Amino acid sequence: MRRHTRRIFNVCYRFVGNRTEAEDISQEVFLRVYRTLGSYRSAHGGFATWMTSVTRNLLIDHYRRTKRDRQTDSLDDAMPVVENKESVARRPDQQALLNELSGQVQSALTRLSPELREAVILRDLQQMEYAEIQQVLAVPEGTVKSRINRGRIELAKILQQMGVRPS
Amino acid sequence: MTWTCDQIEAQLSDYLEGLLPAQDRAEFESHVHACSDCAPLLASVKDLMTELRSMDEVEVSPRLIYSILDQTLGPRETVSGWQSFQKFIRGLATPKFAYGVASVLATLVIVVSTFGISFRKPKLADLHPVTVYRNVDRQAHLSYARLVRSVSDWRVVYEIQSRLRQGENELQAPSEDNAPQSTPENQPGQKDDHTRTQPKQQNRANEIGRQMELLAAQCPVVFERSIR
Repeated sequence: MRRHTRRIFNVCYRFVGNRTEAEDISQEVFLRVYRTLGSYRSAHGGFATWMTSVTRNLLIDHYRRTKRDRQTDSLDDAMPVVENKESVARRPDQQALLNELSGQVQSALTRLSPELREAVILRDLQQMEYAEIQQVLAVPEGTVKSRINRGRIELAKILQQMGVRPS
Repeated sequence: MTWTCDQIEAQLSDYLEGLLPAQDRAEFESHVHACSDCAPLLASVKDLMTELRSMDEVEVSPRLIYSILDQTLGPRETVSGWQSFQKFIRGLATPKFAYGVASVLATLVIVVSTFGISFRKPKLADLHPVTVYRNVDRQAHLSYARLVRSVSDWRVVYEIQSRLRQGENELQAPSEDNAPQSTPENQPGQKDDHTRTQPKQQNRANEIGRQMELLAAQCPVVFERSIR
């Protein structure tokens, strides 16, 4: 239980980049798994893979639900620089997090498109096999490989734009 | 065939994960070494992959796990009111707890007695440090005196017992020597000379009596107690 919770929470956190939202989605995942446990068949792959599929579906639902909010946020991001600096100054903990490389990578991850983001998270952070990712995303292996590759290149370019160079 | 930059970009992950065939790998490397755009891209993606795979997992708060358990299995069983009281009483009615309570009470009684605090008439003044110290000091001296007296009493009793035993041995020895012997010289109807030993036995008894009186005079405590 603890192992599954940790894994699911990490997938959610890396995808949404927010602890509270990740916890809410993780709870939803376990509720959904609990209610639809009867529909699980071993032909769907391992139980962990099936749970990851449920998680991925809920993350995509969440992404679509909050799309409007993010658009509003992006308008806020376009506000004058002075105001932006003030808001950052009010949240020193987040600033400290951003200063760390992992925080910067996390920040860059949330700027990827959801298709590329989920592929990179499953492959490079969860270190899943291509076949498992194929089952989770329900797309052909070629598409999986393509998304992972594009995701990595996009992420590297975003970090480059942010002036971050992983070493 | 020479690879283009687009081809390099498309095969970047396969190259980094070692999935390219040897010939494609050679083509890939020859292009990257010659291309000023692809070389830094390859390096940055390689570093990114290393960074992503070394990122620590985020810790889950215990609250999340309890929350999930509550939502899936229902709220945890919470006992309240009379049931909790019954559960508490059941917990007390165990031999382990009874032994523990008995040990604590015995220790308490010993400590309180040592401090000289009276159970019948407890006073707040008994808890004053000076009073406690005096009582402990008094109890210690009294205990020491009782111990010394007991040892002394037992020593006297032992001495009396050993002297009595010695006296009995002395009494038995002459009686064996003076046991009646049938002599062929005795005529039928003639008496044995038993009267010869009677004064000696009387002397021994008198001597033990005198020793007892002497001990009684020396150890009045023991004899007074035995009289009582």
